[in-house]
Amino acid sequence: MAKHVDPNDAVMNLPRRDARDKLLGRTKYTIDEGGSGDLHAVLLRAEVPSAKVKKIDLSVARVMPGVKAIATYDDAPGLHGLGIADTPIFVKDVIRYHGEPIAAVAATTLAQAREAAKAIGVVLEEQGAVLTMSEAFADDAALIHPDWADYEIIFEGAERQGNIAWEATVVRGDTDEAFSRSDVTIVEGCYSVGRQSHVSYEPRVALASYVDGRFHIQTSTQVPWTVRHVVAKVLGVPDSHVRVTVPAVGGGFGLKFDCSLEPYAAVLARMTGRSVSIANTRQEEQMTCLCRENAEIRIRSAVTADGEIAGREATVLMDAGAYGGEQVFLSTMTAHTLGGNYKLGSIKLSSLVVYTNTPPNGAFRACNGVYNTFALEQHTDEICKVLGMDPVEFRRKTVLGKGDIGATGQIFEGDVLKPMLDTATKNYGAHENKALPDGRLYGRSTTVGTWFIYVGSSSATINLNSDGSATLVTSGVEIGQGTMVQALPQIVATNLGIHPDDVIVKTADTDASGRDLGVGGGRTTVSVGAASEAACAEVRKKLVATASQLLQTKPDNLFLSKGRVEIKGKPGSGMTIQAVAAQAEADFGPVSGSGSFTNPGILAKPGCSAGHFIDAIDMPVHAVHDCELAVDPETGHVEILSYRVIQDVGRALNPRAIHGQIQGGVVQGLGYALQEEITINKNGAFDQQGFETYRIPTALDVLPVEFVLHEGAPSCGPLGVKGAGEIPILNVGAAVACAVANATGQPVHQLPLTPPRVLQVLEGKDEILNFPHISHVWKDNTIRFG
Amino acid sequence: MTIRLKINGENFDYHGDSRASLLEVLRETFRLTGSKSVCCEGFCGACIVHINGELVASCLKPVGVLEGMEITTIEGVGSIEKLNPIQQALEDHDVVQCGMCFPGMVMTFTSFFKSNPNPTRDDVKAAMSGNICRCTGYERIVDALLSIQMKGEVT
Repeated sequence: MAKHVDPNDAVMNLPRRDARDKLLGRTKYTIDEGGSGDLHAVLLRAEVPSAKVKKIDLSVARVMPGVKAIATYDDAPGLHGLGIADTPIFVKDVIRYHGEPIAAVAATTLAQAREAAKAIGVVLEEQGAVLTMSEAFADDAALIHPDWADYEIIFEGAERQGNIAWEATVVRGDTDEAFSRSDVTIVEGCYSVGRQSHVSYEPRVALASYVDGRFHIQTSTQVPWTVRHVVAKVLGVPDSHVRVTVPAVGGGFGLKFDCSLEPYAAVLARMTGRSVSIANTRQEEQMTCLCRENAEIRIRSAVTADGEIAGREATVLMDAGAYGGEQVFLSTMTAHTLGGNYKLGSIKLSSLVVYTNTPPNGAFRACNGVYNTFALEQHTDEICKVLGMDPVEFRRKTVLGKGDIGATGQIFEGDVLKPMLDTATKNYGAHENKALPDGRLYGRSTTVGTWFIYVGSSSATINLNSDGSATLVTSGVEIGQGTMVQALPQIVATNLGIHPDDVIVKTADTDASGRDLGVGGGRTTVSVGAASEAACAEVRKKLVATASQLLQTKPDNLFLSKGRVEIKGKPGSGMTIQAVAAQAEADFGPVSGSGSFTNPGILAKPGCSAGHFIDAIDMPVHAVHDCELAVDPETGHVEILSYRVIQDVGRALNPRAIHGQIQGGVVQGLGYALQEEITINKNGAFDQQGFETYRIPTALDVLPVEFVLHEGAPSCGPLGVKGAGEIPILNVGAAVACAVANATGQPVHQLPLTPPRVLQVLEGKDEILNFPHISHVWKDNTIRFG
Repeated sequence: MTIRLKINGENFDYHGDSRASLLEVLRETFRLTGSKSVCCEGFCGACIVHINGELVASCLKPVGVLEGMEITTIEGVGSIEKLNPIQQALEDHDVVQCGMCFPGMVMTFTSFFKSNPNPTRDDVKAAMSGNICRCTGYERIVDALLSIQMKGEVT
């Protein structure tokens, strides 16, 4: 933290600068761009989940009216991926999921492109499809990637085999010893969740041109540098030949954390020499959504009568769909989500990323954490029931605190969850059984959750302008979260002693800004903010050096405030930043600064984890959610009566904006917990193709969320901040499930809790899951130890 | 065939396919991109416009049936210098996030407050059920709209 700055100066409810244009319909998102000179592109997508492709005949389509180019596998044959390069952008000779692109057509009008795509002749030989993870585990299961062993490995260290795309394991301590102790009770449960679709309002869309030998791609993305790299890789050109720019993005939630349509627009732009736009229809957007993955979980715990968790073993199966995608990385997170929250004497975890012939999954707000928190918290309440302990008291005793050891052996700093639980009890009272006058069943839960911000690397440049304003250049993107219009200008302004309105924030342009991991996981305020703070330090140093000469005082005596360089203890005796900058420019040239940041690298216990992209968490973030609800025993309908959040924010720079994230994130979580459901039919396609059937919450489904911002927990972020946008969704599935279990007296094993499923729970007929393909013997669920 | 439309007080002639939706014509032909194309099924409300004063999901309306009609889109509501009271309340309460649903929200509530100057919270939420938002969780938008009633700005 910059020692010359009082972090409290940064705290304010700065309004969004982009609100007015958005309210007037003036904001141009990528979907609103694309001029009459552009060609329009569409994809021909597979309509079966698994097939061999015998022939792709373009002869008719190529000569249809308006058609300018058709691209197929040979035009962009490179494979890409996170840990393994297993993903082509076009089908080569095998279709692996319903919706997989086979060809891309560019034509003068969209209608012409659609007609031509229909005229492409594809000769297929359908094959049996592997649609579920249990099918993928069968001894005689077809291999979705028969050549899995030959793929390029991008990140070393994971076990892989057949339909298991990736395995991440954690082993700390001796769980066998713990489970065989005479003083423990063994509690075991299986949990299952379906997929969740982001439904960001702006679909995936890209606009590409080929200019002076380089690609320029304007796109709706959270990850401009990933787009740059993937486009280059699949097209076989150097990364430096691709420029990516990103205007306002109409919602992301993780969906746009991957490269998507950009390579198709790029390859067609090069083939035609024209600019090309491509956008998903809403149906395509839904049918190929890179959803929060469906998952299947088995947890076993050995607990003593007084609530010590001597050992825990768990296996998480994460459905990748047809390609490894984000799940390869997200398997890392199980260690810190399912393996998080609680003090554990010993632990063994395995996260298996499983290939199926279904649309690939991706990243979604608090990826992996949402369902692992559901499973962990339901399991915890089941432990409490078996032990006869109060669930809040159990958590208060067992949550990780200062000096405690996490799953991978990292030592936690600070007591955070326990005081947050104390706040919950103080504010909302102890749990009690209530009878509702209308006969509905009352339930309450208090759940804890741990997310971690994968801070990673970011860079920033600040140019000080002659009018005393500053231009911040980063690869940040405004997807609605507010970082670019609130947190970053607040951080820069505080560090430079100017008003946030005088901080101009340039949105991502990979030709102008430095490398960055992208907007996701709650990292932007932290990592781009920290890089910006480092850039400010350089600017400040230059200003103070010049001012020290002009004011004839030591640099240490100077500080920046309200647009001026002032002498400590002598208010008004300094001069304007503008005047100092003018002198500095005359002496040395224009004042600028650059800064960078990467994760500080918290240590884990060596040898605990395998197949992990990171071994420890640089920035844990915690949440306590308290939910009261009523279950209608006649209909199975669940009404949320109160929803209360205590969130670890480090320092709340903009409390009003954080409120917006909490209300929005909790409501997305309520959708996941209660009503959003995707089912996959025998053709490997989602049954829910649009808003009519995929039901996201409306205004009538929600309530005001109460919240307390817990400040002061340790943070490596600028001014002590932590990311606040990701975590509000983390515990919601857990809180609703635990409260429904409390109301009904029956355990809950599956989400979403739609009325029919709640009726099954009420009747005690909810299938007690006992996945035959996930063994009770933990090591049998691993490649490494099995 | 030419279809004459009055959009935001200005005369437009449309010469294309009369089966095209009003939304397509606004966005593609006239480049009025404030109305958003999201669900194209009439559920989300992001494309809502006023046709002769009535709220209509423009994605569901073939342009061919609109000969001579007066259409108001988000581009015809408020200005950079002066927002209308709905827009102003939403800006003042800092409730916008990604922003894609807000043109439709503004159109719905600009109309709603004309006939419901003193709504309850439940009234506002019921009126909002045709405008789906994925970012905000609604309640802060409701708070902002109820502040208009308290200030008595829209009558």
